Amino acid sequence: MKKRKRLSYAKYGYIFSIPFVTAFIIFSLYPTIYTAFIGFTDLKGLLKTSINILQDPFANFRLILNNASFKLSLVNTLKIWMINFIPQILLALILTAWFTSNHNKIKGQGFFKVVFYMPNIITAATIAILFNVLFGYPMGPVNDALVKTGVLSQAYYFLTDKSASQLIIAFIQFWMWYGYTMIILISGVLGINPEIFEAADIDGANDVQTFLYITLPNLRTILLFVLITSMIGGLNMFDIPKLFNLGMPGNATLTTSLFIYNQAFSGSYLYNRAAAASMIMFVIIAVLSIGVFLLMRDKKDVQEKKEARKLARQIRRGELHKEEATK
Amino acid sequence: MKKSNSVGRGAFRVFIYVFCIFLAILSLFPFVIMFINATRSTFEIQQNGISLLPSRYLASNYAVFTGKTFDPLKGFYNSAIISTGSTALAIYFSTLTAYAVVAYSWKMRQAFFSMILAVMMIPAQVTSIGFYQFMYRIGMTNNFLALILPSIAAPATVFFMRQYMLASLPLELVDSARIDGSGEFNTFNWIILPIMKPAIATQAIFTFVASWNNLFLPLILLTNNDKYTLPIMVSLLRGDIYRTEYGAVYLGLALTVLPLFIIYFMLSKYIIAGVALGGVKG
Amino acid sequence: MMKKTLSLLLVLSLLLGLGLTPVLAESKETINLWAFTDEVPKMLERYLELNPEFAAKYEVKTTIIATTDGAYQPALDQALAASGADAPDIYCAEAAFVLKYTQGDASSYAAPYKDLGIDVSAVETSEIAQYTVDIGTNPNGDLVALGYQATGGAFIYRRSIAKEVFGTDDPAEIGAKVGPGWDKFLEAAEALREKGYGIVSGDGDIWHAVENSSELGWVVDGKLNFDPNREEFIDISMLLKEKDLYNDTQDWTDAWFADMKGEGAKGIFGFFGPAWLINYVMAGNSGGTKAGEGTYGDWAVCAPPVGFFWGGTWLLASASSEKKEAVGELINWITLDSSDTGLQYHWANGTLYGEGGTKDTVASGVVMAKSDGSLEFLGGQNMFDVFVPANEFANGNNMTQYDETINRYWRDSVRMYTSGQISREEAVALFKQNVADNLDVIVE
Repeated sequence: MKKRKRLSYAKYGYIFSIPFVTAFIIFSLYPTIYTAFIGFTDLKGLLKTSINILQDPFANFRLILNNASFKLSLVNTLKIWMINFIPQILLALILTAWFTSNHNKIKGQGFFKVVFYMPNIITAATIAILFNVLFGYPMGPVNDALVKTGVLSQAYYFLTDKSASQLIIAFIQFWMWYGYTMIILISGVLGINPEIFEAADIDGANDVQTFLYITLPNLRTILLFVLITSMIGGLNMFDIPKLFNLGMPGNATLTTSLFIYNQAFSGSYLYNRAAAASMIMFVIIAVLSIGVFLLMRDKKDVQEKKEARKLARQIRRGELHKEEATK
Repeated sequence: MKKSNSVGRGAFRVFIYVFCIFLAILSLFPFVIMFINATRSTFEIQQNGISLLPSRYLASNYAVFTGKTFDPLKGFYNSAIISTGSTALAIYFSTLTAYAVVAYSWKMRQAFFSMILAVMMIPAQVTSIGFYQFMYRIGMTNNFLALILPSIAAPATVFFMRQYMLASLPLELVDSARIDGSGEFNTFNWIILPIMKPAIATQAIFTFVASWNNLFLPLILLTNNDKYTLPIMVSLLRGDIYRTEYGAVYLGLALTVLPLFIIYFMLSKYIIAGVALGGVKG
Repeated sequence: MMKKTLSLLLVLSLLLGLGLTPVLAESKETINLWAFTDEVPKMLERYLELNPEFAAKYEVKTTIIATTDGAYQPALDQALAASGADAPDIYCAEAAFVLKYTQGDASSYAAPYKDLGIDVSAVETSEIAQYTVDIGTNPNGDLVALGYQATGGAFIYRRSIAKEVFGTDDPAEIGAKVGPGWDKFLEAAEALREKGYGIVSGDGDIWHAVENSSELGWVVDGKLNFDPNREEFIDISMLLKEKDLYNDTQDWTDAWFADMKGEGAKGIFGFFGPAWLINYVMAGNSGGTKAGEGTYGDWAVCAPPVGFFWGGTWLLASASSEKKEAVGELINWITLDSSDTGLQYHWANGTLYGEGGTKDTVASGVVMAKSDGSLEFLGGQNMFDVFVPANEFANGNNMTQYDETINRYWRDSVRMYTSGQISREEAVALFKQNVADNLDVIVE
C-alpha cells in the first residue's frame, strides 16, 4: 500500500514536466538538432537547395578550431567575462550583506535595491550607443573631462585601444548586471530560515561572522545558479560587443557569439561553419558548467554535515541563552 | 572601547551611504540622458549626444514618431500581450517543472534536470535562425504565439526556481497537505505557488523585461504592420543611416521603458520588503 | 505527435483569443511590397491617390523591416524562397546589399524589367545614370533593378574658407584646385593648413571616394582583390594625420557633426557627399535655417577629386509574382518615367506632396536637366549642375556582396594604424586575416 502510494507520487514528477518537455522539443530541440546537423554539411551560401553531408564530416569543425579569429574570440570572451564577473559578484555580495544585515538597517535601502537593477531595464542598444558617445574622440564627455582636469594632455582615442575597449565592455556588463545579481542573492537570503539568523544573533555573532558562516553557506544553491547562468550568459555575450563597436578594434572585443554571427551573416553565409562553431562552444560551456557543478557539489556533502552540526550546536546554545534570559 | 567601535560603525555607515548614492547616480544616469534627449531635436543630439539640459522638441519628436506608417498605441498593446503572455507561461510552467524536480523522486529526474541545464548552454545566435525557418514553414510568422509559447520551456527560470526551492521550500508542508487530502495539482497551485511569491516576483520582472525589450526575433517574425511591437517601431525610426530621427528614437525608447517602470515598481515590493518565506513554518 | 501538437497549438490560440490571422474576403488584388524604410511605401501610397482607377483594382500591402541588426535580409530571403501568399511582389534593396539581389546569391529571384511589360529602352531616353543600371543588371545582361535617386557624390565646401585661402568660391575653380586626383587634393590641403584649416573632418570622408577609385571589387573569382587604389587609403589617412590636415574625427560621431557647424578643433573646408548628405545631414547640423545663421548658406558643391556614389535604394520585382503588369506600372513610374508626372520629377523638385519639399538628385538626367536644384543652403547654387556629371563618374562595377564587411575590416585596421596602435604591416596583416577568417574568400 505504502509502496504503491509513493509510486503514484513519482508519476506526478513526469506529469508536471510534460509542458516543459513538449515546448522544449518543438521550439528548442528541433532547431538545435538542425543546427548540429548543419555543422556536418556543405550548407553555405544563400540559395543552397540540396544539403549534403561532407565526405569529411568534421571538416568544418577542424576549420573552426584552426581559425585564428575563433581562438582569439575564445580568449577575449573568457577575459571580458572574468573582468566583469569577479567585481560583479563581489559587489553584489557586499551589497547583499549590507542590505540584509539585521544590525545595520540602511535607510532607503528599498530605493537602492530598486535603482541598482535599473540599468538592466534599458535595451542593450541604447546602452551601447550611450557609451560610444561617452568615449567619443576627439570630442566626447570622457575626453573633455579628462583633458579639462589635466589627467590627459590631449584627447585619447579609447575606441582604437584594445585593452581600453575590452575594459569598457567589461564595465558595461558589470554595471548592467550587478543589480540583477544582487536581487537574486537577496531573494536567496530572504529564503533562508530566519531562525538560523536569530540563533546566530542570540549567539552574539557580528555581521561579518553571520554573513560568512551563516548566510554564505546557505546561499550556496543560489550562488551556484548565479555562477552558472552568468558564465553561460557571459560566454554567449553578444549584444554589447556587437552594438558598441562590432568586435573592433583589431578584434579585441570579438566574442565567440559575435564570431558565430559573422560567419553566418557577414557576407558568405557560412551556415555550416557557424553551426560547427556553435557546437564547439556548446561543448566548452558544458564542460565548464559540469566542472563548476562538481566543484560545488563535492563540498556540499562535507559542508552540509558540518552545518548540521553547527546548527545543532547553535540551537542548543540558543536555547541555553533563552533559558538564561527567562531566569 | 565600545565608544570607538560605534564611531567606527558611524563612519562605516557614512561610507555605505556615499557608495550607494554613487551607484544610484550611475544607475539612473542613462535614464536621465534618455528622457532629456527625448526633448531634443535630432540635430542637437548629433552635435552633443549627452546633455543635461532639456530642449523644446518633445512635441515635434512625438509628431515624427506618430507620423510613421505604424501606430505606437497598437505597438504598446502588442508588446503587452506578448510580454504578459510569455511571462505568465514562463513563470507558471517553470515553477511547475522545478516542483516536479524538487518534490518528487522519479527515475529520470536527475537526467531531466541535467537536460534543462544543457538547454541553457546552447548559443542562441544560430539556433534562432533554425527556429525562424521552422516557424516560417508551419505558418507561424505574424503570430504572437510563436513568441509566447516557447516561454513554457524557460530553462534559466526553472533552474532558479529549483535552487530556490532546494534552499527554502519546506517539503513537510507537502506531506501535511497530503494528509489533509489535497490533490497534488491543488497542492502546487494553492500551497506552493503562494510560498514562491518572492521568487516568482523576481523572475517575473526579469522575464517581462527580457520579453519586452526583445527585438531580433520579433523583428523577423512579425512583418505585418498591425503586429509590430514597440521595439520594432523604434528600430524602424533608425532603419536608414541618413535619416535617423534620433529625437524620436529617444522618445520611443523612453515610452518603451515607461511600462517597465510600472511593472517593476509594482513587483519591487517583494525585492524591498522581502516576504521571508522561511517563516511560514516554525 | 505532430498532429497532437498542432491541435494543442490551436486550442491554446483559441484560449488566448489570438486566433490565426483571418483571411479577409477582398475583391481587390494585393500587391506585396517589402521595404526597409517607409520611403517607397509612401511613394506607392501617393501613386494610388493620384491614380484612382489603379487604386480601384489593386491595393498595396506593405512590409517594413528595418535593416537594424541585419534583420531585413534574412526575412526577405525567406519570403522570396517560400513564394507563398505573403511573398513580395516588389522589394527594395539598399546600396550596401543590392548586389546580392541583382548579381549575387539571390539574383535568380528577380524578374527582368522587360518581363513586367516595361520598355527598357527608356534607360537611354530618360538618361538613367549608368552606374545604377550597371548595378541593376543581372549576370544574363537583363535589367532587374533600378533606383529613383542618383547618389553620385560631390565635394561640398565652405565658401568663406575658399575665398580666404584660394581667393575664389567659384565651383569650377575650386573643383580644379582640389582635383582631379589625390595629389592635387593633398596640395590643396597643405594650402588650407597654412591658414589653419583642415581640408576634411576625418578619414571617413575620403573613404567613399577611395572605395570608388578601384576598377574591380574586393573579391574577384573568389579571391581577395587588394586593389592598390584602396590600399592607398592607409597612406592618405596617415598623411592627413601626420601633417595635421584634418580633425581626426570618425564619421557619424559628435565631433564629425560639429565640424559641419564649424565648431571643431579647427575650421573644416569640406565634406564628400551626395545630395542626401546636404539635405538630411549637413543642413540640419549647420547651426542655422537660413543664410547667415551658423554655416547655412556658406556652402557650395564642386566636382570631387575622384568620382563616387554613396547609398541609394533599388527596386526589384519577384519573378514569381502573378501581378507582373501592375508591378511593372508602379516600377516604371518610380524608376523610368521622366515626364512631369513621373515620380522622379516630383522627387527632384520636392513636389511629391506639394511645393517646398526636399529636393534630391534623381537617376534620370532628363529630369535633372529640366528641374531646379538651387538651394539656399548652397548660397543659391543649382546643385544639379554638379551632380549630373558626378553621376557619370560613379562606377557601379566595383561592388560585391561582401563590401559592407570587408570595408569595415579595412577601415578598422587603418584607424588602428593612424592612431598609433599597430604598424602598417600589422594593419594589412590584420585586415587579410579578418577577411580569410570570416568570409569564404581566398586570401593570398
